[in-house]
Amino acid sequence: VTAPPDADLRRVRRLLRWYPRSWRARYGDEFAELLRADLADRPRDRRRTADVISSGLLARCTAAGLTSHELPPAEQIRAGIVTVGCALAAFGALGVAMLAQLATGWQWASPDSTPAAAGTLAMAAAAGFLALIALVAAIPVAWRAVAAIRSREARQARLVWPAGLAVSCAAFLIVGARHFENWWPGTGGTGAEHGLVPGGLAAFGWASTLSASAYWAHPALWHTFPASELAWMTLSPVAWITLAASVAAIVRRVSLPAGLLRYLARVAAAATGSAGAFLAGAASWVLAHRPGQASLFRPGLVDAAELLVMAVALIIALRAAAALRRALAAVQ
Amino acid sequence: VPDRARDSNQERAGSLGTFGRYAGPATLILSSLADGPKHGYALTKDIEQFARIRLAPGTLYEALSRLEGQGLIEALASDDRRRPYQLTAAGAQALRVHLADQRQVAEVGLTRLARGWGRA
Repeated sequence: VTAPPDADLRRVRRLLRWYPRSWRARYGDEFAELLRADLADRPRDRRRTADVISSGLLARCTAAGLTSHELPPAEQIRAGIVTVGCALAAFGALGVAMLAQLATGWQWASPDSTPAAAGTLAMAAAAGFLALIALVAAIPVAWRAVAAIRSREARQARLVWPAGLAVSCAAFLIVGARHFENWWPGTGGTGAEHGLVPGGLAAFGWASTLSASAYWAHPALWHTFPASELAWMTLSPVAWITLAASVAAIVRRVSLPAGLLRYLARVAAAATGSAGAFLAGAASWVLAHRPGQASLFRPGLVDAAELLVMAVALIIALRAAAALRRALAAVQ
Repeated sequence: VPDRARDSNQERAGSLGTFGRYAGPATLILSSLADGPKHGYALTKDIEQFARIRLAPGTLYEALSRLEGQGLIEALASDDRRRPYQLTAAGAQALRVHLADQRQVAEVGLTRLARGWGRA
């Protein structure tokens, strides 16, 4: 048997990267052997590459609990919780950006349309409830993670790195947002509805989601921003994504008792309901816009795009929550 | 695995109905394994020979992982990196039921063709 050429080995490794780590751990070796044999038979085949890429992405969706091919119930429950959490984190980041923009407007004037007013109130109420849900979900998980890190379990479960990253990213986001909130355009507002969202909170939300901005589509305007703000707009989303990925890794790795998993599953279901209420409020504002509305509350293309991404994130969360319910029913 | 989850898997194991677009590859794999264990490349070659279809590697392994997840096939121990798979009793039963259904469809179609279009 002759060793395959290095180029083939590199191609096999590249193709394998499309699959999630858990899949590679189970099927990686044998799949690599099949790919090497297939490459020897047909050195150039674009359909094979497309097939591997689509199957790899499908395997990633399966690992996230998003396909009809369900994982063993215990894995499915964790995958479902992580997917609901990540989808709602993306939803929440865009939602905070949208709500911060409206809260800024309310600092200066009342909305001149019922859909905008009702939508903003619904969004504010749902955001408050979502924040509460996130807190009651995070506390027991953080407690278990800290307990595991203080014991020997941390090294075995590879918890130290994600926990360190999560704390660093959270610290970076808090310090950065606290710094940039001083430039909040709602400061000094005297509108009739002054204080719909407490000023400090609105300013913090605005600063922490500065990166969700239409300015990215206008490079000619970038020079008008201070370099530090541009750096913040670039780095803060990286910190958000790293924070979400680190928390997901902790939830996947830390030992969570069955009762806590069931509790998290119920919390996830409640969170998708609140996100639905938030989306309805946002849609009421964006879709009911009429020409001539006060500019402070005029939704732009970026808001429509955010609404679309939030709808997709909510669909993903709902699908994962449904798979989570089925897995819970199977183990009860 | 808790009993209820195992029962749920076993209930689903009698049919290829949950395979969606992978029902075709799954049928080909089960048919290939019906005459003995095979690893991935041997499966590809055998299927190519009897069905004149070359299953792409990603599709083959997606179907293999679904079949294994539902207990219709199982992996065997192997000394090298090419792991062979074999049919389980549930897999044999699922294949028998599925092929009987397919035969019924084929027979109806062929009979109606003969009646309406004459024999080829």
